[in-house]
Amino acid sequence: MLQSIIGIIFSEAFVFSIFRITTPILFAALAAVVADRAGVTNIGLEGIMMISALTGVIFSAWTQSAWIGLLCAILLGMLTALMIGFFALKLKTDIILAGIAVNMLGNGGTVFFMYLASGDRGYSANLASKVMPTVNIPVLQDIPVLGGILSGHNILTYLAFIFVALVWVLLYKTPMGLQIRAVGESPNAADSVGVSVNRIKYIALGISGALAGMGGAFMSMGYMSSFNTNMTAGRGFIALAAEAMGRGEPIGTMLTSLLFGFADALANNMQSLGLPQELVAMTPYVFTVVGLAVYAASTLKKSRKKLE
Amino acid sequence: MHKNLKFEIVRGAASILLALAVAMIFIFIISDVPFEALYNLIIGPFTKLRYLWIILERMIPIIFTGLGVCVMFQANQFNLAGEGTLFFGGLVAAAVAIYLPMPPVLHVIVAIVIASVVAAATMLIPALLKTKLGASEMVSSLMLNYILLQLGVYILNWHMADRTQGATMSHQFLDTARIPILVQRSNLSWGIVIALIMTVLVYLFMYRTKWGYAIRMVGQNQSFAKYSGIKVAATIILCQVIGGLLSGMGGAVEILGYFDRFKWRQLPGYGWDGVTIAILAKNNPLFIPLAAFFMSYLKQGCNLMQLNTDVPAEMLSIIQAVIFLFFAAEQFLSKYRQKLVVKSAKEEIAEKKAAGEQKGAEA
Repeated sequence: MLQSIIGIIFSEAFVFSIFRITTPILFAALAAVVADRAGVTNIGLEGIMMISALTGVIFSAWTQSAWIGLLCAILLGMLTALMIGFFALKLKTDIILAGIAVNMLGNGGTVFFMYLASGDRGYSANLASKVMPTVNIPVLQDIPVLGGILSGHNILTYLAFIFVALVWVLLYKTPMGLQIRAVGESPNAADSVGVSVNRIKYIALGISGALAGMGGAFMSMGYMSSFNTNMTAGRGFIALAAEAMGRGEPIGTMLTSLLFGFADALANNMQSLGLPQELVAMTPYVFTVVGLAVYAASTLKKSRKKLE
Repeated sequence: MHKNLKFEIVRGAASILLALAVAMIFIFIISDVPFEALYNLIIGPFTKLRYLWIILERMIPIIFTGLGVCVMFQANQFNLAGEGTLFFGGLVAAAVAIYLPMPPVLHVIVAIVIASVVAAATMLIPALLKTKLGASEMVSSLMLNYILLQLGVYILNWHMADRTQGATMSHQFLDTARIPILVQRSNLSWGIVIALIMTVLVYLFMYRTKWGYAIRMVGQNQSFAKYSGIKVAATIILCQVIGGLLSGMGGAVEILGYFDRFKWRQLPGYGWDGVTIAILAKNNPLFIPLAAFFMSYLKQGCNLMQLNTDVPAEMLSIIQAVIFLFFAAEQFLSKYRQKLVVKSAKEEIAEKKAAGEQKGAEA
C-alpha cells in the first residue's frame, strides 16, 4: 500500500496533475491576496468563479472562440466583484454578507442562465463550447521527466503562475501596490495623505474579480470542457484558506495553493487504490481545516513570543 | 424607536419591491407569456389551500437554520456550517429511526435529541479553532459543510444503503420514529409546531437569560463584554454549539416529518436559506417564522411559475440575492432616514415651543 502510494507520488503524471489541479485554486487565492491586502474580504470568490465558468462556456459557444469566452469570463468576474464593492463600500452592506449573496447567485443564478442558454439544468451538454489551448514548450518538452511535468499544460495553468509574479510586482514594485497595501494596513493614514481609500478598494476588488474569473474560466474551459452545476465545489473557499496560510504574500500563497493541489491530487489517486470515493473526496477539506489550524497555531505562538 | 421601526419596514418593503422589479425585467425579457409567469409567481401561491400547506411545510427546516444563524450572527460569529450540520443531523436521526427500536413518541424525541447533540458537537471544530487558535470560523465552517456532506454520503452508501432500491437511499424508518402529519392529505407535519416552539424558546434564551445577554454583548462590543466580566471565549463556543444544535434539530425534524427514508446526496440548501431569513429578520428570532413564510412563499411562486410557464424556478436565487443585498445594506435609503429624523426633530422643537408659549401665556 505505502509502496504504491510512493510510486504514485514520484510518477510524472502525478506531478503533472498537481499543477493542473492547483490552477483554479491559485487564481482564486491570488484574487484573495489582492482583495485582502486592500483590506476587503472577498468571500464571493466561489460565486464569481461559478459565474465566470458559465460565462466562458456560453460566450465561447456563441462566438466559437475560446479567447472571447475567456475575456467575457474575466469581464463578468470583474463586474461581479465591483458589485460586491458597490454594496459594501457605497451602501454599507457587511462585505461578508455581500459575498454570501454573490455565492447564492453563483449557485442558483448560473443554473437559471444555463437553462436559458442551453435548455439544460445539470451540465452544458448542448453548448458547443471551446477549450483553452494547451502549450507544448519547445526544447523543454524533449527533456525527459521535466518535459512531461512542465510541458503540455493548459495555457491558463502557465498564466496562473505568471500571475504570481505579476501580483508580486503589482504589490511591491508599483505605486498602485503601495497604495493598496497602505489602504489595507491603515485606511486612515492612507486617507490622510490623500489616497482615495474607496477608489483603491474598488480597484483591488476589480483585479480580484478578474483573477477569480480566470480561475472560473479554467474550470469550464480547461479542467473540464463543459459547465456543471456546483463545479467549483468549494475551491473559492479553499483559496481563502490558502491565502490565509500564505499570509497574503503572493509567493507564500502559491506554495500553500500547491500544497492543496498536492493533497487533492493524492486524494484522486487514493481512489484508484480502492479507498471509498466519498472519504477520498473529503480529504482536501480536512486538509484545509488542519492546515488552517496549524497556521493559526504557529502565528499564535509567534505573537506570544513577541509579547514576552 | 418606533420611527426606526417604521423606517425599517419602509426599507424592507422597498428591497422586496426592487427585487420583484428585477424579477419582472427578467421575466419580460425571457418569457413568451410574461403576465402569466408574474401571476403564477405572485398570486399563484394563494390560489389553493394545498399550496398554503406546502408553504408551511417548506418553512420547517429553514426556521431551524434561521434561528441558528440568528444566535451565531448576534455574537458576530460568521459560522456558515448550518448547511452541513442540518444534513448530518438528518442522517443521524435517520440512523436512530432505522436501527434503534423504541416506543412511539419517545422514538421521535430520542432521534431528534441525538441528532441535535451530534450536530452541536461538530460545531465544536470551528468554535474551538476560533477560540483556541484564532482561526477564522468562517473558512473552517465552510470546510465543515463539505466534510459532513462527504462523511454523510459515505455512511449512507457503505453502511445504511438499502440495496433493494434502485437509487441510493437508506432503509425505511420504523413507523414509531415518524413525526405525524398535522393536516390530512398534505405533507405538513407536527414539525411546524416544534419549529414555532423552538422560535419562542430561542427568543426567551436570547433576551431573558444571562447567556443570551452575553452572546448579544459579545456581538455588540467584544472588549466591553470582556471587561464587564463576560467569558468571551466560552460565549463564542456556546453560540456556535447552539447554532449547530438548532440546525441539526432542523435536519432531524425535516427527515422524520417529510421522508420515510434518508435520500439526500447533496447539501439541501436550507443552511443558506437560513442565512437569508436571518438577515430578513434582522437576527431577531421572533421575526424568523415571518421571514421563513416569505421565503417559502417565494419558493412556491417560483415553482408554480416553472410548472405553468417557461420561466425556470432558479429565478428564486436571483430574487433572493437582490433582497438579501438591499436588506443588509445599511446605507440603502439613508437619505430618507435622514429626512425622517430631521422631520421628527423639527416636530419636537415645534412642540416644545408651543408648550413653552402656552406656559408663558398661562403665567
